[in-house]
Amino acid sequence: MLEIRDLRVHIDGHEIIHIDELDLPPGARLGLVGESGSGKTMTAKAIAGLLPAEAKVSGTVRFDGNDLLALNDAQFARIRGKRIGFVFQDPARSLNPMMRIGRQVSEAIRLHTDLKGRAITDKVVELLTQVQLPDPASLVRRYPHQLSGGQQQRVMIAAAIAADPELLIADEPTTALDVTVQAEILRLLISLSEERQMSVLFVSHDLGVIRYVCDRVAVIYGGHVAETGSVDDVIDRPRHRYTSALLAANPGMPKDDDFAAFMGQRLHTIPGSVPAVGRFPSGCRFRNRCGHASAACASIPSPVTGADGHRYSCWNPGGED
Amino acid sequence: MAIVDIDDMYFHYPRAALGEGDEGWTLRGISFEVTAGSTLGIVGESGSGKSTLIRVMCGLLRHQRGTVRFEGQEIGEFRGKGANELRRKNQIVFQNPRRSLDPRMTIRRSLTEPMRALQGRKPDDDELIVSLEKVGLGREVLPRFPHQLSGGQLQRVGIARSLSVDPTILYADEPVSALDVSVQAQVLNLLMDLRDELNLTLVMVSHDLGVVSRMCEEIIVMRDGRIVEAGRTDAVLTRPESEYTAALLAAARLASLEREVEAPG
Repeated sequence: MLEIRDLRVHIDGHEIIHIDELDLPPGARLGLVGESGSGKTMTAKAIAGLLPAEAKVSGTVRFDGNDLLALNDAQFARIRGKRIGFVFQDPARSLNPMMRIGRQVSEAIRLHTDLKGRAITDKVVELLTQVQLPDPASLVRRYPHQLSGGQQQRVMIAAAIAADPELLIADEPTTALDVTVQAEILRLLISLSEERQMSVLFVSHDLGVIRYVCDRVAVIYGGHVAETGSVDDVIDRPRHRYTSALLAANPGMPKDDDFAAFMGQRLHTIPGSVPAVGRFPSGCRFRNRCGHASAACASIPSPVTGADGHRYSCWNPGGED
Repeated sequence: MAIVDIDDMYFHYPRAALGEGDEGWTLRGISFEVTAGSTLGIVGESGSGKSTLIRVMCGLLRHQRGTVRFEGQEIGEFRGKGANELRRKNQIVFQNPRRSLDPRMTIRRSLTEPMRALQGRKPDDDELIVSLEKVGLGREVLPRFPHQLSGGQLQRVGIARSLSVDPTILYADEPVSALDVSVQAQVLNLLMDLRDELNLTLVMVSHDLGVVSRMCEEIIVMRDGRIVEAGRTDAVLTRPESEYTAALLAAARLASLEREVEAPG
């Protein structure tokens, strides 16, 4: 569905992103995980052609055989929103506060499908039903502020799937929501993806959320793919030192019989913080914060690929296959 | 010994539309005690009243009904020097250090303010450096402005600032939710270390049940301005009595790193 090769983004002479290789198979759900400043959102935006003009993008992003990066604006406009749908972090900011819910969704239908008149109205109700919003017929007359955050995000999802996209890009879609609402939205995204055979590129800082939603994950740091593979391989058998450090720093949840041992236990920390754009070290991006760095890490490690596409770029990997 | 003792407390914001019964109140019928030296976690979804509750507890907001006692005295009765002492002993670390520190003040000045306002004294650099070192920072941050520091460094400044006036209770309102995972861990460890070292009472608002399980012996679960469940954290989270706590727990487990058995959809 999506084949990324040698994707580079330069801004102000800095190479911000270099994704050597990343694939999203049809119908699959791929998570991009990273801390703020890692480049995960920028990667998603580069794929979607949503980066500002000062960003120089090169490489190839094949979507259903076409190279998205070779398209001109008019060609891209026919794909974006139609064959590739988007859901962003903060629904309150993505929805137009002055526009009724019905119109926000019908606009997406009008722009990206051939439906006309009454068929559009019916489609709006159908979409709002699919995203499990109660009483769609009266909901269409409401304004965004009359909806809860979770309901707003469902409206965003309804608009995003209006034209039956083959790919949905969701950038931190539940980060602004409460944990119980988050669970509902994640379940909805999974079931929509399965019913429609819709691929999902899911951007998040939360590995737990990605494990629940996705089949595969790419751990991004300093604009590079540190490690990628099935969620089970990457989370249960991490090889890259950044992945294991990130997992160990996670507060986690104790098992029911494990509370006493959990209480007061200190977390594993990663020294320092994510460098600012353009301040990452050369070679392995993580080496200045890594407890296992050696002289070799000053050059970029070549990727090692194991079973089931489990691939990592680390000179001193932990664990074993 | 109870350091804070709250009994049937109600709070509403100015101009709230109050209705029948407790309609319109932000906090309704809150009763609990905080034991000196303990760590209490307050959880619940946004809008449940967690942040309002700690602001009432430390005297930043005034409740309208019931009692809130600090060290045995109703907090509304602290006057003059007493009110200053109340504020000194009850310090808050806020969620977003970028918003809670004045962007036009150097770190030196931000650190000096609480001591000047609450203790009427002006610390010298040596004293400021000692408080910075407690939180893992050094003298080089003194002349800097907030925009020159990372989120994790700023949160450390926020903690140093709160601790500079030697409080008895430290309130932390989602102290790490604006920080990256790798930096979160540093700040949480720091809070645990300082609490143990300074024998602080810690009251922490968090949406993260994992963080609360790790740090807090006691937990309060809030919803719609009421306490739905309270008790020892291990008891509440292993054998939740309310449906709401069970739902929070299920949602937290679903998004945890452990592979869940629950089938999606």
